[in-house]
Amino acid sequence: MGATFVVVLREGFEAALLLGIVYAYLAQIGHPESRRYVTLGGALAVAASIVMGVAVSLLSGPLADVGPDVIALVVIFGAVALLTWHGWWMGWHARELRGALQRRVDAAHASHQLWMVGLIAFTGVFREGAETVLFLWGLMTQIEDLTGWAALAGAAGGLLGAVGLGWLVFQGGRRLSVLRFFGVTSFLIMFLAAGLFSAGVGRLQGLGFLPGGDPLWDTSWLLDDHGNAGGFLAGLIGYRARPSVLEVVAYVVYLAGAGMLFFPSVFRPGTRRNGDVTEPAQTSRV
Amino acid sequence: MRRLVTMSLLLAACSTLALLPMADAQSKPVEIPITVENQKFTPAEVKVKAGQPFALVVTNKDAKAAEVESKELRFEKVVPPGKTVSIRVRALKPGTYVFVDDFNKSNQGKIVAE
Repeated sequence: MGATFVVVLREGFEAALLLGIVYAYLAQIGHPESRRYVTLGGALAVAASIVMGVAVSLLSGPLADVGPDVIALVVIFGAVALLTWHGWWMGWHARELRGALQRRVDAAHASHQLWMVGLIAFTGVFREGAETVLFLWGLMTQIEDLTGWAALAGAAGGLLGAVGLGWLVFQGGRRLSVLRFFGVTSFLIMFLAAGLFSAGVGRLQGLGFLPGGDPLWDTSWLLDDHGNAGGFLAGLIGYRARPSVLEVVAYVVYLAGAGMLFFPSVFRPGTRRNGDVTEPAQTSRV
Repeated sequence: MRRLVTMSLLLAACSTLALLPMADAQSKPVEIPITVENQKFTPAEVKVKAGQPFALVVTNKDAKAAEVESKELRFEKVVPPGKTVSIRVRALKPGTYVFVDDFNKSNQGKIVAE
């Protein structure tokens, strides 16, 4: 029971975090009505996960062997692109907000590409979705005795736990001031996306499409990435006990690039913290 | 409109090109069969040649799905009940590498490259 609880909670953790963030984001910028994009994205992802789970169970042959790898890679790099875009967008708005003394983001401005957060919801849910569907399916076919029911109850608890976590993130995020919310989530998204990017590069190495793959260091004695704590950290910030050179490089390069995109004010001293920015933005270029 | 069509054609061509070497390479590597039965990998330890890519061909004989995963070797693949799934693994340096069933962590296996 405990084991299935942890499995489902872990699979649903990243999705819950992302959904909580984007729902809170929409509340923060004063566009709660755009939640339908997120809900639609999440719902479509659940449907796609079920289709994929069924497809993997029914199909076989080279397509079934290669297909999941290709889809996983597309989803990983797609999610990185979306999160980068979102972080950049938030950083840009945070800068605007500073200039406008924490005024809410201009409605017409922000509604421009809000459907994109629906795509973030989609990738967040779909990434581990098919696996979770297959796992739950396996549990349901096993209900013959009490342990079967207990396992299913554990899984349901895990799912509820993930939903609760997303709800906490949403409630917490909604209560933060706009600026702090943008700061905290940009930071979180930056590490999440760096972990995803590095994981994508690692996948390519694992498949033999990129050279190398031998570990640069080994911290599995300290924190094993197959364990529960290490596994959560792996999902959250891309922790690896034995990262390859390319993975470390990808992680660091992404963090540096995203840092500049997400926190422009840190890198451009011209924009100050407390509003009253009087000099034109052009002069502040580094 | 024409640009859109050209773009999608280009995209389709690129993805096909990207898939071709995969499909090709898929047929080449040495296949190492492994079975999941009664929540255990059999054999629990397989030997492979170092420096040569290979494929773990995992057959799940249980009624539950298994997720064969190795963070170290960067694979993570669900094997639905009753199915066989092939997992590509890169050329390895001599050594021992661990993989687990992520849906049932007490089930572990080893790859020994020599």
